[in-house]
Amino acid sequence: MIDWAYLFEVSLTGIASGGLYALAGLAFVLVYKATRVVNLAIGEMLMVGAYLFFTFAALFALPIWLAIPLAVLGCGLLGALIERTMIRPLLGEPPISAFMVTVGLASILVGIVEIIWSADQRRLPEFLPSTPVMIGDAFIAPKVAWGAGVAVVLIGFVLVLFRYWRGGVALRATASDQGAAYAMGINVPRVFSIAWVASAMIAAVAGIIVGAIGGISSSMGVFGLSVLVVVMVGGLDSVLGALVAGLFIGWVEAVAGTFLGGEYKLLATFLVLVVVLMIRPYGLFGTHEIERL
Amino acid sequence: MFDRKSFVTRRSVMSLAAGAALAAGLTIPAQAQQEDIVVGGSIPMTGVFAFAGVGINAGMSDYFKIVNDAGGVNGRKIKFVIEDTGYKVDVSVAAFKKITSQDKVNLYYGDSTGFAKTINPELDRNGQIMMAGASFATELNDPKKYPHQFLVGPDYTEMFGILLNHIAKEKPGAKVAFVYSDSEFGRDPIESSEALAKKLGLSVPVKIMTAPGSVDVSTEVIKLRRAAPDYTIFHGYILAPIPEFVQQGKQMGMTTKWMGTFWTMDSSTVMKMGEAGDGFMGVMPYRYYYDDAANSPMLQKIRQMRPEYQSTAYMQGFLTAMLFTESAKRTLAAGKPLNGGNLKAALNSIKNFDTGGIIGTPITIGGNSIPVGRVYKADMKAQKMVPASDWISLAK
Amino acid sequence: MRIGTLKESYVADAALFDSVTQKRMLAAGAALLVLFPFIANDYWLYLACLVAINIVSATGLNILTGYTGLVSLGQAAFMGLGAYTVAILETRLGTHFLINLWAGGAVAMLGGIIVGIPSLRVKGLYLAITTIAASFIAHFLFANFEFTGRTGGLSLPPARTFGIFLDTSFRLYWMIVPITVLMVIGAANLFRTRIGRAFIAIRDRDISAEVLGIPLLRYKLLSFAVSSFYAGVAGGLWAYFFRVVTPESFPLVMSIFFLAAIIVGGMGTILGGILGAIFMTMVPELLKLIFDILPGGREMTVFLSPVRTVVFGLLIVGFLVFEPLGLAEVWRRIRRFFHLWPFRN
Repeated sequence: MIDWAYLFEVSLTGIASGGLYALAGLAFVLVYKATRVVNLAIGEMLMVGAYLFFTFAALFALPIWLAIPLAVLGCGLLGALIERTMIRPLLGEPPISAFMVTVGLASILVGIVEIIWSADQRRLPEFLPSTPVMIGDAFIAPKVAWGAGVAVVLIGFVLVLFRYWRGGVALRATASDQGAAYAMGINVPRVFSIAWVASAMIAAVAGIIVGAIGGISSSMGVFGLSVLVVVMVGGLDSVLGALVAGLFIGWVEAVAGTFLGGEYKLLATFLVLVVVLMIRPYGLFGTHEIERL
Repeated sequence: MFDRKSFVTRRSVMSLAAGAALAAGLTIPAQAQQEDIVVGGSIPMTGVFAFAGVGINAGMSDYFKIVNDAGGVNGRKIKFVIEDTGYKVDVSVAAFKKITSQDKVNLYYGDSTGFAKTINPELDRNGQIMMAGASFATELNDPKKYPHQFLVGPDYTEMFGILLNHIAKEKPGAKVAFVYSDSEFGRDPIESSEALAKKLGLSVPVKIMTAPGSVDVSTEVIKLRRAAPDYTIFHGYILAPIPEFVQQGKQMGMTTKWMGTFWTMDSSTVMKMGEAGDGFMGVMPYRYYYDDAANSPMLQKIRQMRPEYQSTAYMQGFLTAMLFTESAKRTLAAGKPLNGGNLKAALNSIKNFDTGGIIGTPITIGGNSIPVGRVYKADMKAQKMVPASDWISLAK
Repeated sequence: MRIGTLKESYVADAALFDSVTQKRMLAAGAALLVLFPFIANDYWLYLACLVAINIVSATGLNILTGYTGLVSLGQAAFMGLGAYTVAILETRLGTHFLINLWAGGAVAMLGGIIVGIPSLRVKGLYLAITTIAASFIAHFLFANFEFTGRTGGLSLPPARTFGIFLDTSFRLYWMIVPITVLMVIGAANLFRTRIGRAFIAIRDRDISAEVLGIPLLRYKLLSFAVSSFYAGVAGGLWAYFFRVVTPESFPLVMSIFFLAAIIVGGMGTILGGILGAIFMTMVPELLKLIFDILPGGREMTVFLSPVRTVVFGLLIVGFLVFEPLGLAEVWRRIRRFFHLWPFRN
């Protein structure tokens, strides 16, 4: 006997928290689309964004409306730095090298955070509204609902940017054919930089929301693992895929966690991943690459 | 060609340095001074458990300083040697090997359940060392399997027992929910405690296991609300995600009372929960730093030595050092050599022992643990933990 | 190419050790390995055993990633399979450790083949992430099955042979190091055979390899199998070494550690796996030494563990950016320099 109201309530919350996966997935896809780099350090970039916000809002006691943009800008700067020092030198190397560089990067970021802020768990100042959101009888925790709202708005904004802004078009052009983009006079290295900066900024926003919900610690990069599953399921180079898969994985986690138990959460998502990859090796919406000799 | 040469040497510096380090360490173990009693420690001064490690180290050092300033144990000074572990089992084991190969160690402090289990065969083989540590794992509370170790407080099942006893007295027949993390630490007391709850006439309508490292617990909160428990006990966490449970639960209008176990219950940790944490309860085997109960000379001494707040991990370290010293004293008084078996026997001879107020009731160590504790409650206005029960002892 | 080593036959060209100097150095190295336990203290013996275990596992990963070009982040999970197999056999049946280690390797091999099956459809980085999935599934199984002892894991008695308990680092050394030497020689020889060359062909361009008549699925699976066999044996040794196996003994970080070891050591060379495993295991100890020497060391120790994490990451990034061929290349350069020394400058 399934309790439909209960299932509805759980599903709603699951989908809402999936919004955050979608947002972080967007940050990931952006970099992959432009530079073909699988960024394993995405969770750690989220973490840095959250810690920067913590520093500005809690330690320097700046108002929230100032602390958020500062944290986002700071994280963007970090993105530029990473691109310039670690990714640019590997231009033309096999993609596996860049992938492993991001593995190292993840470790560096965790270490730096522990040096500066120590490994203790901390709480971010409360800045999201605290009145619960009710849909019918179903309850959604206010932070989760607001987080999902921000995620949706931001994703919509980026989609529009991709479509109409010059830089967005350049980015899409680079993604579809690097050589042709060069030939058309697009400054490809600059596109790379922009992609990393934008990705880091989006990651910062996601990190601030994730931190507001669950608190921050130097191990919050684990969030990145779920994000990785999301983008793999959606297809590494598809924004739409990140969105759909994000909501879907959020839902799967919620349902598996509720009806099977907490230990099945990660298992369920990874099983979804394996199944999807067996059926569609490039994800649900990913571009299928043609092998040439 | 000249350029090439300097190029090579620069590149090779790293490997040469590694070789040099290897050579430097290949020394014959230093002969331990006969008169010192050596206490070793694998203590996490860094990493996720550093907040506890720093306190433990301070507590143990302080007590040994008191002992040494008063002339030591039977005229023998205590030497306290520690290595940082970063709360990683392999590093802990390496630290143990390093310390034991440099000194003749009599007593040891280990930093985790994993370490305690890993090093146990070595302790049995070696036979010279008695060990205590930061773990309260139920599994370790078995004198047959772990003859040379003990727990400086109740094990996790006994912590639950203390809470459940308190609940059964306060509200007979209450519904108690267990929320725990999917880890060895989290799962430790759950099954045995569910049985105990039944025995005490309580019911456990829901047990929620959260995925390790999960930050978003909103679906779990929904599940918890459905069960409508009178009490909710968290275990296997330090802080996150407890505040989120409490906050969202309160927003949803839940009236359950929230409870935690030892590692959550440090005053500074509970205070981080903010307004929502008011009334948060939990079990604590030691008195808090600011407890001004009479007849607690040790607490006064601690406040003299350290004017600022000291964590409950500090108290744990302090008491460990006290029990180490007492065991050594009793062993030497009986004219026996200091080895694992004798130290443990001396420890188990401790009856109605006064801890100078660290624990508010005289303790007896029959087996591997000290099954006493007290329920405390957070008072956010005073920013303090205040007693919510009397001292509860599970000893038969 | 070095000069002064004239080869007159294919056999000589394919030989593992081609010069007299090399053979002499090898003999010296072997002598050192035999003498080491008698001069080192317990702590250094402990590290030596750990390094040896890591060499086995890193060499295994090198076969898969360095030689066949399949990135795996599941090495720790395969070690876990081996370790659990050994623990179960040792506690339930009490069979000889050599049998148990073989069985551990075999079970891990089976796991490797299962994980490898998607490798024909799923390629490159997608594959790397499937191996992460595999390691999480393995963790789930270890943590939830009754016969793997759930989250508490399993404890096992020491290995035993001829009535001697191998329970100290000194005794374990004589079990671990010979096995390591054998496994490394085995790996080196693998690449003198058709199979090894097929692996390299797949790494360089898999479709071309298939055109050349190398069945991709079979050889990719074979590479997974061999690699995870190494991991399984390493895991088995690990189980005998620490004598406790829990689900948390084999985290994802450990897989990353082995990947880092072969990056730093040098992918696609046997020497690289060895140097990388030694170097990455010793770096934390080296850092500890540096921190001990540094002024104000007491306060600085608070930073030891995060600095270790940063250095770990920096090594990965630094080697990829500045020395992609790893320590093995550095070593080769040194050797080349001294090859005709002092007659060349």
